[in-house]
Amino acid sequence: MEGSKKMKKVALILFVFSLLFWLNPEKKMAAENLQRAIDSMKAGAVLKLENKTYEGNLTIRKPITMIGAGKTVIKGDGKGNTISVKAPHVTLSRLTVAGSSMNRNSSEEYAAIKIFTNDNTVDHVTIRDSFHGVYLSQAHQNTIANNTIMGIDKGEVAGQGNGIQVYYAHDNLLVSNTIDGTRDGMFFDYASNNRIYNNHISNTRYGLHYMYSDENVFEKNIFTMNTGGAAIMNSNHIKLKNNQFIFNYGNQSFGLLLLQATDNEIEKNTFYMNQRGIYLDQATRNLFRRNKIVQNQIGVELWSSSNQQTFTENQITDNTLPAVTVAGQGEDNAWSKDGKGNDWGSAFPLTDLNQDGIGDFAVSYESSLHQLIEDQELTSFFLKSPALKIYEKMNSLLERNDVMFTDQHPLITRKGHPLRTAVIGALVLLAAWILLKGRKRLCITFGRNGKKI
Amino acid sequence: MHYIWKEWKENIRGKGLWLSLSIIVLISLSIMFRSPILSFDKGFYVLLINLFETVIYFIPILCLFIGAFSIFQEKEQKTLIMLLTKTDSYPGFLLKKSLGLYSVVIIPLIAWFFIYLLLLKFYFPVDFSSYLIFLLSLICLALIFLQMGAAIGSFSRSRMQMIGFSVFIWFYFFFLHEFILLSLLPDVTYGNVQWFSILYFLNPLEAVRMFLETGMGVFSFGHMSRLLQSFMWTKPGYFLAASFVFWMAVSFGTAIVFHHKEGNE
Repeated sequence: MEGSKKMKKVALILFVFSLLFWLNPEKKMAAENLQRAIDSMKAGAVLKLENKTYEGNLTIRKPITMIGAGKTVIKGDGKGNTISVKAPHVTLSRLTVAGSSMNRNSSEEYAAIKIFTNDNTVDHVTIRDSFHGVYLSQAHQNTIANNTIMGIDKGEVAGQGNGIQVYYAHDNLLVSNTIDGTRDGMFFDYASNNRIYNNHISNTRYGLHYMYSDENVFEKNIFTMNTGGAAIMNSNHIKLKNNQFIFNYGNQSFGLLLLQATDNEIEKNTFYMNQRGIYLDQATRNLFRRNKIVQNQIGVELWSSSNQQTFTENQITDNTLPAVTVAGQGEDNAWSKDGKGNDWGSAFPLTDLNQDGIGDFAVSYESSLHQLIEDQELTSFFLKSPALKIYEKMNSLLERNDVMFTDQHPLITRKGHPLRTAVIGALVLLAAWILLKGRKRLCITFGRNGKKI
Repeated sequence: MHYIWKEWKENIRGKGLWLSLSIIVLISLSIMFRSPILSFDKGFYVLLINLFETVIYFIPILCLFIGAFSIFQEKEQKTLIMLLTKTDSYPGFLLKKSLGLYSVVIIPLIAWFFIYLLLLKFYFPVDFSSYLIFLLSLICLALIFLQMGAAIGSFSRSRMQMIGFSVFIWFYFFFLHEFILLSLLPDVTYGNVQWFSILYFLNPLEAVRMFLETGMGVFSFGHMSRLLQSFMWTKPGYFLAASFVFWMAVSFGTAIVFHHKEGNE
């Protein structure tokens, strides 16, 4: 009798253990162990993790440093934030973090790393398979540096979040991060006085998306192959300096959009091969100085609602259309400042008899395309077409063109564009060869058995 | 097979093919040597797009000339009449001649761009699938304009006529076709945009460009309006395939129906 009771107890214990095995207990235990280890640490302690996968989710409530070994992975359960930082002075380094919730119907937006406190550092962390990458929620003076954040792809907008989301967060430093394929690269919402340096953002919707965020500084960031490089909306006093907006090339793409943005300084940036280099709508009193706006389909697209823009010392060359004003001329837009206009390239030949680097007469650009651009969005499909020049010439003869800009003090172009030089060189060679050898020679060359006449 | 061999021997001895290739080599090298200014991680794509936008001026006209002169010289040398009298029908001759032309142009083109790829590796991290799409785009373009050239050679009666047709076709696809579409643009509505789209992509230059830019992932169609969605009612690859088949068929058909067996000086 006693023996059978013992047997039953043993069987029950075995059953419970087997259930635990069936429920994959080692994962749960790993998460609990890491969480327990974090909870048991003293403030300021350093936790060194091994090169293995730890199951999350984790909540950090003490100021600690958590360092991975390079291949350390913290994997969330897909039901919340993978790592929630709820203490100040936390450092996360050399980790891969993945598996936050992708749920869009919850009250909270989840992230691989969500920071709710100040003075934290996230450094050399790789993030993947998460809704947002790093989320700064009312968190200030944090440093987010040298991280790599991988999204799904730029085609997916609703199903994923942003690389770095900065929400009511001020005085943060975002430096040398690489963001690829997320919804927006960095999204700032009511976030001011942040510094953003040396980040590289590609294949997103907007590399930079700005709403109601003032007095931030952007330097040396690179935005490539996004639907839009940077979209600055309802934000003021932002400084954009030495950034590169390259190859934002889609049908509706732009390098930089300023929408209802005021008193921003855009200086020494490169806008290269974008559908539109700079796109201004309902923007006021912005200064564009010493930027290179080169080889875009439209250099500057200026809607009539934009007023008091100043363009000075910019290089605006080799664009299909250098600048267009759409839906009428805005008020007080200036194409020169303190006697210095812009370099419009060889398309606008100038003389400079007094050798002061300023053209001897004003340049003015007329176009009829503004009406088509305003009325018909398919116009953008024709911007690469050589037929565009004929179309403009025809409309010029029919006096349908309007003045797009007048630069009273245009700068003298230093040198020609290399690509154009190459094309012209090849064409001249070909033409010279045909002229020298003549039509008969052409016949003999291509139909080399053709009779010589 | 002996048509292909004959075409090779003729073109190796001639200058037209070498001139065409040397222009493409010159352009691609000059763009590559200036590429250090593109030394960022997307520089490879920028270079390919720039290269495409440059060679697109040359490949069509050179292929038109090579195709047209190749057929026309068969008339001048009276070899066409001999071939048609002895063994071949005109469609049979045209098919074999076209295959010869393809091999003569496409093989050196592929060979050069393979060498070019090796050189590019010194400058950029290379994306092979994008390069393959770039090469495929050039091949499609070359094939279409070679076949058009063959048609011009078939129905032209004199060299002057042939050169005139070649230049006109080049001019049409480069300028006139899009100029007409630009003039139609204000009247495009949601109701007729699909017809407009067909006309737009009927231009092989546009179909190839769209295929290349979307295939390489540099041109995105995110957030399209209803009008744009209707304009892009199928994939760029299908637009290119349709344009390719259409122009090959039209060129073959025109050559067969309107060909002249003899050409005048």
